[in-house]
Amino acid sequence: MSSERLRIAGGQLHDPANGIDGEVRDICIENGRVVESLPPGAPTLDVRGMVVMPGGVDIHSHFASSSCNHARRLIPEEHAAEPAHRPALFDGEGLPRSGSGGTVPSTFTTGYRYAGLGYTTVFDAAVAPVMARHSHAEMDDTPCVDAGFFALLGNDEYLLRQIDAGERERARDYVAWMLGATGAYAVKVVNPGGVEAWKSGQRNLNDLDRPLEGRRATARAILETLVDAVNALQLPHATHIHCNNLGQPGNSATTLATMRALAGRRAHLTHLQFHCYGGPDGTGWGSAAARVMEYVNAHPEVSTDVGQVMFGPACTITADGPVEFLLWQSSGRKWVNIDIELETGCGIVPYSYKEKAAVSALQWGVGLELFLLSKDPWRVVLSTDHPNGGSFMSYPQLIQLLMDRSVRDEALKRVNQKLLAGSALLDGLTREYTLNEIAIVTRAGPARLLGLAHKGQLGTGADADVTVYARNADIAQMFSTPRYVVKSGRVVVEEGQLRRAPKGGRLRVQPGYDDAALTDIRRYFAESSTIQFENYPVRNLPGDPR
Amino acid sequence: MTARRVGPVVCLGCGCACDDIGVELTGDRITAADRACALGRSWFGDGQLPARILVKGSEATLAIAVARAAELLQGGPGLVYLVPGLGTEAQRAAIAVADAAGARLDSVTSATGAPSIVAGQRRGRATATLGEIRRRADLIVYWGVDPAERYPRYRERYTRAEAAIVAVDIGRMRGPPDASERIGVPAEREAAALGVMRAAVLGRKLPDLPSAVAAAAALAERMMRGRYVSIVHDAEAEGEVDPQRAEGLIGLAHALNVPTRCALTTLRGGGNRSGADAAMTWQTGYPFAVDFSLGIPRYRPDEPAAGVAAAAASVLVAGDVTAVPSSIASALTGRLAIIGPRASEGAKAEVAIDTGMAGIHEGGTAYRLDDVPLPLTPLLSHPRTAVSVLEAVGRAFAQRAVSQ
Repeated sequence: MSSERLRIAGGQLHDPANGIDGEVRDICIENGRVVESLPPGAPTLDVRGMVVMPGGVDIHSHFASSSCNHARRLIPEEHAAEPAHRPALFDGEGLPRSGSGGTVPSTFTTGYRYAGLGYTTVFDAAVAPVMARHSHAEMDDTPCVDAGFFALLGNDEYLLRQIDAGERERARDYVAWMLGATGAYAVKVVNPGGVEAWKSGQRNLNDLDRPLEGRRATARAILETLVDAVNALQLPHATHIHCNNLGQPGNSATTLATMRALAGRRAHLTHLQFHCYGGPDGTGWGSAAARVMEYVNAHPEVSTDVGQVMFGPACTITADGPVEFLLWQSSGRKWVNIDIELETGCGIVPYSYKEKAAVSALQWGVGLELFLLSKDPWRVVLSTDHPNGGSFMSYPQLIQLLMDRSVRDEALKRVNQKLLAGSALLDGLTREYTLNEIAIVTRAGPARLLGLAHKGQLGTGADADVTVYARNADIAQMFSTPRYVVKSGRVVVEEGQLRRAPKGGRLRVQPGYDDAALTDIRRYFAESSTIQFENYPVRNLPGDPR
Repeated sequence: MTARRVGPVVCLGCGCACDDIGVELTGDRITAADRACALGRSWFGDGQLPARILVKGSEATLAIAVARAAELLQGGPGLVYLVPGLGTEAQRAAIAVADAAGARLDSVTSATGAPSIVAGQRRGRATATLGEIRRRADLIVYWGVDPAERYPRYRERYTRAEAAIVAVDIGRMRGPPDASERIGVPAEREAAALGVMRAAVLGRKLPDLPSAVAAAAALAERMMRGRYVSIVHDAEAEGEVDPQRAEGLIGLAHALNVPTRCALTTLRGGGNRSGADAAMTWQTGYPFAVDFSLGIPRYRPDEPAAGVAAAAASVLVAGDVTAVPSSIASALTGRLAIIGPRASEGAKAEVAIDTGMAGIHEGGTAYRLDDVPLPLTPLLSHPRTAVSVLEAVGRAFAQRAVSQ
């Protein structure tokens, strides 16, 4: 059994969930878990002088879904420009796989790259329930990381019918059934009602109280129904909300109205940066980051991930069909739209954020403001909405912007200033994130928001997912090349090289529901779906539900 | 002998992947497939498949045959060729073999659906899953295709009876005979017609048009008045198809989303073709025509698939060998291994390993033509699954890599 033991010795540990901020501690690992101690002579990794953190946890990424795969198919030129060789895995560690990079890498390459950055847990934030089977297959082919996904609800016909009819309890049972049937981890709502509006010809739903044509359901009712269902079911993660009006000038009014509508209820507003625009009077292009973050700071029930924009290539992939239609119209780039039956949508437009473009610069600035104005890093965590705001591969550069004011100030000088008037960045935000705060926004915080008690921390009993960084004055360099990464107790990255690529686990839930609800759901399938009720649930789901 | 019933199960007779089939089993035979069309009944057949393992024509053990298949692919410029009859799990295993072998990787897509895919890579596409068409489409334009021929249950399952049907006959490629409206476009005018239609939708001023094209412009006006327009074409249409058709249809569907909503549906044949495209895309970044010879995936959509097949010194055909397109079959002159249903019926194979058929003997996943993944149910037993044999070939490569 000795090969399953490991002592990571002498590193400076940043384990904020356990109140440890840079103290020298050994991490003892046995059978994939952190243990109190190991007998003398256990295999040891000498990491003296290095920084030790729990493995990274990505709360919001698009990396394993049918939508991602349509995006992959759309950008062969990106893959051709960045082919990915097979990693030099140790003997007996399975077939190493080649692949391709770009903003939406192939699956094996995605797993290797996440591990190479020290990330060991990743969630896909938007999976159409009918496509769940596809996401499980992609995750099976994404090694090194434990993975799960959020099921897209809120524009689905069955739920809308329950809302129209005021059947909140049945809606809750349906949510529970759907999560279990698809092997999802959490509920995601994208542009509540707006995707259905796009598909029905109404085009979009721009405020909380305008009903969908011919129905009673409003964005407000959709949000309340889902948030109440998720909280009543005591799901580990709050409802993951992509607000209405993403990317639109003046949209902070909708964002604040959404937060107020849900006041007092646990909710996670995702990629907040894309929802914080509005000048001093709340309209037009400008930064509303300070106003929105003031609300977030004062309301502990709200959590968020930033959705930082990073300059360079991106690929916008979202269920928010109407947004991608507008982006296609304004950018003239390639455009994919897929209306997904009875449930949701999918839009894809490859994109690029440019320093010299006014809106790109505003978006970049708003994201940084949100980070720097946040008073509680446990509730304002790191994401780029990969690959929408930029690739997950840019996380090290983002961490550098947060930790190193001089780098940030230099970058600020380079960007288009046109829309930055009113940005707190120009007021000289001097804050620099500490290593402990980085540990919070990249692992401890996301793990806590996801209800993953065994992740994002390294106390006794925790999952033995550990990242070790060699100190480097160049913060981006330090975070882009961890010296060691340990996944479930096995060293996958050694001396900066990927050497093992074990299969990751699956994170999913299976909440209980009233079986009586199935009669109605079954009838609905028979009347409305092209898929038989019996063929809808994903069979042979891996792992145990949480 | 008592019959038993299983279902509803998925039929892979065409890309419609109807999942409402009730199958009757008597002993080890399929004796009925309720609700299946003629194509589906033929696809299910009686479920009887050979179960041999042959090396150079003689019976062999599985271990020997697997080792020979791996050896053969290591011998030189190889090709792994995916044909219908595999679940996506087996397709994934076959892609892994191609990667390990540094081989070319292709599927029937290169000989069937490639122009639509490549055009989509240039422009994108506006589409919908089939249930959305059934729910919303009030105007359906069949572009040179009558689904009744190759996709018999398409209209029954995926369209509303109330929807207005327009047939666009392109040369001899005719739309449904019962269409309420019909226009004819000479084949040589097809690209021009599509261009004019898009221009009309974009509100451009059109010059005086010849009558064949003018009718198309009028149809475009009609489409703009639809609430949700579905355009349907066949990626695998037989006969000469204008190479600009796919991109023209994509451009038209895109443009129609400004004044109204529109989805372009691309019909595909059976046997989980879309699954092969999907799995290749997520594992390599490319949906077909992949070249691993430099140890990385490179995309070669412009090379004629038959030429690639002819140049391969060794070939692994994965899937139902009887579904290899004739243009490819006649080009296969290299050493040949076949793993899949009816492998032992393939001519010239050095290694032939019969497996079950996805959806009849093997479970797993298959994709409908609109990329919706569906579960497959094993109905009958077979001594081997394609996925287990292909994974064994992959392991043989891994062991060789270790021993070298």
